[in-house]
Amino acid sequence: MDTKKLNRREFLRLGAAAAGGLALAACAPQAAPTQAPAAQQPVPTQPPAPPAAKGVALTYWPSWGNFGPVWDKLRPTDEFKQAIGNNTLEVKTGAPYEAILTAVAAGAPPDACSNYQYLDLMARGVLAPIDDLVKSSTVVKKERYFDGNWNDGFYKNVQYGVSAIEGFLRYGLNYNSKMVQDAGLDPDKPPATWDECLDWHKKLTKIEGTTMKQVGLDPYDAMGGQLAIQDGFYAPVSWGWKWFDAATGKFDVANASMAESLDVMGEFYRIAGPDNMAAMRNVEGQGGWGPSYNASVQAMIIEGYWHPGETVIQKPEVGKLNRTTWGPVPASRKGVKVQGTGGHYVIFFKDSKAVKEMFKIAEFLNSDTACKIIFENVGWLPGLKDFTAKTDPSAYPGLKFYFDSATQATEWSSPARCPITSFASQQYQELREKVFRNQMKAADAAAEFQKRLEDEWTKQGFK
Amino acid sequence: MSIAIPKAIPNAIPKRRFKLSTRTRNLVLGLTFVSPWIIGFLAWTIYPLFSSLYYSFQNYDLLRPPVFIGLGNYVQFFTDKSHTPTVVYNTFYYVLLSAPLGVVSAFLLANLLNANIKGRSFFRALFFFPAIVPAMVTAYVWNFLLNVQYGAVNGALRGVGLSTIPFLTNPQLAKPSLVLIHMWAQGNAMLIFLATLQDVPRSLYEAAIVDGANTWHKFWYITIPMCTPVILFNMIMAFIGGFQNFILPWLLTGGGPNQATEFFTVYLYRNAFVYLRMGFASAMAWLLFITIVFFTVIMLKTSARWVYYGSEAY
Repeated sequence: MDTKKLNRREFLRLGAAAAGGLALAACAPQAAPTQAPAAQQPVPTQPPAPPAAKGVALTYWPSWGNFGPVWDKLRPTDEFKQAIGNNTLEVKTGAPYEAILTAVAAGAPPDACSNYQYLDLMARGVLAPIDDLVKSSTVVKKERYFDGNWNDGFYKNVQYGVSAIEGFLRYGLNYNSKMVQDAGLDPDKPPATWDECLDWHKKLTKIEGTTMKQVGLDPYDAMGGQLAIQDGFYAPVSWGWKWFDAATGKFDVANASMAESLDVMGEFYRIAGPDNMAAMRNVEGQGGWGPSYNASVQAMIIEGYWHPGETVIQKPEVGKLNRTTWGPVPASRKGVKVQGTGGHYVIFFKDSKAVKEMFKIAEFLNSDTACKIIFENVGWLPGLKDFTAKTDPSAYPGLKFYFDSATQATEWSSPARCPITSFASQQYQELREKVFRNQMKAADAAAEFQKRLEDEWTKQGFK
Repeated sequence: MSIAIPKAIPNAIPKRRFKLSTRTRNLVLGLTFVSPWIIGFLAWTIYPLFSSLYYSFQNYDLLRPPVFIGLGNYVQFFTDKSHTPTVVYNTFYYVLLSAPLGVVSAFLLANLLNANIKGRSFFRALFFFPAIVPAMVTAYVWNFLLNVQYGAVNGALRGVGLSTIPFLTNPQLAKPSLVLIHMWAQGNAMLIFLATLQDVPRSLYEAAIVDGANTWHKFWYITIPMCTPVILFNMIMAFIGGFQNFILPWLLTGGGPNQATEFFTVYLYRNAFVYLRMGFASAMAWLLFITIVFFTVIMLKTSARWVYYGSEAY
């Protein structure tokens, strides 16, 4: 007699079959809902309204961490609602560059992003050209923008970027007037040359034992040491030469000016002590690009126009003490007033299926409403002539200098269009450290810099 | 004369059913249950492994299609005078110092914790704890402890009138500081040693005592030989971990100061995601793999001279 009994093997087999079925059901697309057969449908007296067009889910990755909270104020505006329409917008801030790269490599980038290595992406064909969209736009018009901001959105005569969010002037020596005064210096007579800056630096730097309590100037902090596509490279600006020619692909860093800049700027580190500088940066809340200035540990900083606004917003008691003057130049160029353009863009990925919809968001970011909210909440100005003309230069202490410099500067620069800027930036950091740690002569470092850039240019296939 | 073919009688002959053998059934069932792991292994280990091998022969920047360059990336690594010597020196310095010191410290700690002391369980948990702390937390904590201006360690040194030590900001001290942090996190190795020590037969120690052995003799002639298989295992794991060390140097020092902590993995990461040289980074990854395999084979081959696999003495 064959008694039916569920043994262990049968149980396991049934269990596996059930689990497999559940997995398949979970992975299968949702089945269309079945409709119950209508018994009697009432006859409509009016034709039904057409269904609303289905919106698109847009994704935008601006990398600034402090830009996220601003969207809470941008979204409720009428201009944003008009721009977004039926679509939705997910804004993800703080994503590292590696995330963008892997998303692009996987074929699933966001629809647009800002504050990443624009030229890396433009030069490697992953961005969507927007010439046609710009042509039909009533907002993104060349005449509205400063030349540098407009032109830098192009690569090889194709437009990829809409200048937006942040794009005013780049260079100014900002200083804390109280710290300067406490050191016995006159805040009304700021330094103009590197030598004068060095004198201030010596008086403002305080070292107790082996602890640096206060530093005068870290010349490689923020815009002083930055080498980036949206910001430029200060040493060539200050010493007055062009380090890269986009038309020919030639580098020029193995020269006396580069060597002198490494030596002069390195002297600030030698006086403070390279280990002391590193130790100061290692403290939480004393990092570069402003925190150490906000913490009143750093008295001077070479920064862009955003510094006054950001400092007032982040640390009002320090912001009100801020003053700004011309970025330092070598003594041989005393009297030269340098200034530079630069800025950020909204760029769109080729793999995006919603470039047209995302372009409307970029247009929104160029509206007066959006620019005003960003200026009041973050301290940034767009590269728009009409908006900056309406902005009150005295809104933040030190901001007026940047507005005045627009007409008073005697030398102008804009960031070099170099598609290996990330590599150049890292080599610059490595070599300048070797110079201020006295491991390498400045001239040798400049020559090595030239060699590394040329080798990399060839290896990356840009010959 | 025609032969009448009878009509088929239903159920007279049972239908042939497709039936798997027991062995096959077991195999299918086993594979079904282990399939999630196999799929994950293929998708997230095997596929990336062979992809990186493929890309190591390409000029690939993640954004453009790869271009075949043969052994170009491997040649570039060996001919790059600006970074390769520094990176290789830093990595071997760290591995050759941290691996043996880490194993020794774990072994000594396990011996201490094997003794019959009060609160032994508490101390075992305490010393194991660092092994389960996430690496990012470890980095932040040690950054705070070792900071030359406001760190607790330097605060204590200042308090007793000594000068502060720039552990992480001085090029000469940064690597040894990372070795020190590595020795702090030997909980896993310590636990494995502890388990091994429990397995050492008591009879050996008793026999040694009878023969007049003191504590040092027992430790040197019984404990260590009996633990040599696990010492070998931990040493191999320490070497592998040392070569692959990335999180702490990246978070604590970023490869600095002055490239003092630019290890192989740090330079690899920078090449992949800063310089957009994913092909070169892939080649570096395979060179690292070959190096680790080489060291592992060397240690295994030489282990016969010093590893004792007997479990009973007589």
